[in-house]
Amino acid sequence: MANQSITNAVELVHLVKRFGKFTAVDDLSLQVEPGEIFGLLGPNGSGKTTTVNMLSGLSRPTSGQVRVMGLDLRTQTRQVRQVLGAVHQETALYEELSAWANLDFHADLFGWPKAQKKARIEEMLALVQLADRKDSRVSTFSGGMKRRLALARALLHDPQLIYLDEPTLGVDVQSRRALWDYILDLQKQGKTVFITTNYLEEAQALCSRIAIIDHGRLVALDTPEALTQKFGGSVVEIETNQLFQDLAGLRALPGVKLVEQDGLLLKVTNQAGDRVVPQIINLVAQGCEIRNITVREPTLDEVFLRLTGTALRD
Amino acid sequence: MLQEIGYQLRVIWACARKDVRSALTDRLFTIMGLFVPANVLVLMSLFVLAGSNAPTAVVMQDSGPYAQAFYQAMSQAHSFRLQITSAAEAERLIAAGGIVAVVTIPPEFDLRIQQNQPVQVGVEINNLNTDFTNDIRRAIPLSITSFYAKAFPNLVRVTPHETDLYPQDTDYIPYLAVSILVIALMMGGLMQAGLASAREWENETIKELLLSPASRIAIMLGKMLGSFLVGLGSTCIVLVVLILFLGVVPDHWLEMIGITLLILLIFNALGTLIKQRMPVIALTMGISLPLFFISGAFGPISFSTPLLQAIARLFPVYYQIVVLQHAFHSFLLNTYGTAGNVLILVGFAAGIMLLMTLVLRRSTVSH
Repeated sequence: MANQSITNAVELVHLVKRFGKFTAVDDLSLQVEPGEIFGLLGPNGSGKTTTVNMLSGLSRPTSGQVRVMGLDLRTQTRQVRQVLGAVHQETALYEELSAWANLDFHADLFGWPKAQKKARIEEMLALVQLADRKDSRVSTFSGGMKRRLALARALLHDPQLIYLDEPTLGVDVQSRRALWDYILDLQKQGKTVFITTNYLEEAQALCSRIAIIDHGRLVALDTPEALTQKFGGSVVEIETNQLFQDLAGLRALPGVKLVEQDGLLLKVTNQAGDRVVPQIINLVAQGCEIRNITVREPTLDEVFLRLTGTALRD
Repeated sequence: MLQEIGYQLRVIWACARKDVRSALTDRLFTIMGLFVPANVLVLMSLFVLAGSNAPTAVVMQDSGPYAQAFYQAMSQAHSFRLQITSAAEAERLIAAGGIVAVVTIPPEFDLRIQQNQPVQVGVEINNLNTDFTNDIRRAIPLSITSFYAKAFPNLVRVTPHETDLYPQDTDYIPYLAVSILVIALMMGGLMQAGLASAREWENETIKELLLSPASRIAIMLGKMLGSFLVGLGSTCIVLVVLILFLGVVPDHWLEMIGITLLILLIFNALGTLIKQRMPVIALTMGISLPLFFISGAFGPISFSTPLLQAIARLFPVYYQIVVLQHAFHSFLLNTYGTAGNVLILVGFAAGIMLLMTLVLRRSTVSH
């Protein structure tokens, strides 16, 4: 079994995955500390799912090393599977079977002690509030219920690391909140959680640290707050009385990264900090009357957009 | 060690139980799985029965003892399905395509035979199908010879002296029905296991299995066992049809049961290798029929060309037909002996299972 005093729950070292000539993951190295909720973000096709598939042993790396809870995935695959609980994007539940049958099968597959099996399944179903639907076929469940059941299944064998691929994709707001609570509870229990998500709000709410990858390469890795400070600069939003014409002049100012105009609202993103804000205001004031000014930190979405050149999308 | 064995056995049983449950929840799949093999058996048997004898009308314009004897000779020629009609009815039937031929036994047939005068038996043939036409062309002279051999034994000097290799004849239908049973088991076994396996890959529930610490061989054996248990139902149905409805009763019951289960197991193992539903159907239909025709379904492969014999020996279907024919009719179609043929089949089963384990061990997801 895994060493309890390990330094890293997950360690990816120079990980590479190629499909023919296409490199899906390109020299990716990162560490996830025990007990943290770690988020892996990236646009569609950035290599997120390939990375987590390698992390869970569903896909073999072309080169590089994966260590989970101190175990080498290549040589200690079986032990890694015992300490890993996975919730896939597509849930991978047997929809023709009942919730109970799904968990019962999982318990047998993972060798959960027979004497404790019934109690454990009941405990997991109660945790995700599906005890009253234990005998219903999974095909009759809503998207949120399926996610909760998949989470219950992943937790059933008491894994140390839980990997969740897009845990709230396609679920309603209420279910999303409930799932977030479960995930935060896992951290309180000392579990390590590895999440891939397309929702920056989710990453911001849950993750202690975030890695952003694009084209299979690591672009940034830090806490959400540090990322917004490091890559964000500030955003100046100016409301004018008429359409501002000199957008080129604004873009030419030192430190200005992005100028967007939405009707009478100008949004100027800069990385030069507050010192360029007066110049922006002066320039705009020369062209039209200013009605309102807001200076704020960028959102994680804006950081992401800047780093990857693309917005996150479902 | 014991704990490990116990765990793997538990995995095997869990996988089997899960697959049986899944199969039973899918009514269409269950019904299809249960009745497809029996359906194949019945359809192919009907095909064989329909094609075996040519429907022929006999117009008896003379009803004397020689005319009756000639009719008897025709009915024993194994080529005709005879019905006595009037001349008008016979013409109507052949014009409507309801019969292949009209045989007219002329008036004064008996008288002319008695007077040793030539007699012409009228034969009108609907010659649109060469196969049936040639049957008639061969069978009429044969009937005449048989008639003469029985009516005038002193006149016919050349007679066959037959020595049989086996104590009893095996009719075409019972022989062929056993071969059809192999193909029915093949189609049923491939379909059951193939669809169960494909469902796992297409619904991506395979991830649940691949991410478990259970050994790949235990998972595979479990899946095979599941398909095997579901397949037992269809096997029972197909055997009931064969034994009770077609009247093909095995000489060696235990051998028949053992071989049937081994055949089912082999095709279950093969089906477990398939990852998508479409190839299941294509493979089931695409290889069953060619293998049926080249593997000695209609007679020993030693009667066919050397190339076809060599091809047939590459596939388990040939050995399955050989051992199952022995279980039903007590004859062996090759020189390997029952044990030798069974050993070859066990080898096929072991090889497929090994391949299965390697496939799952190397299995990854597509991204």
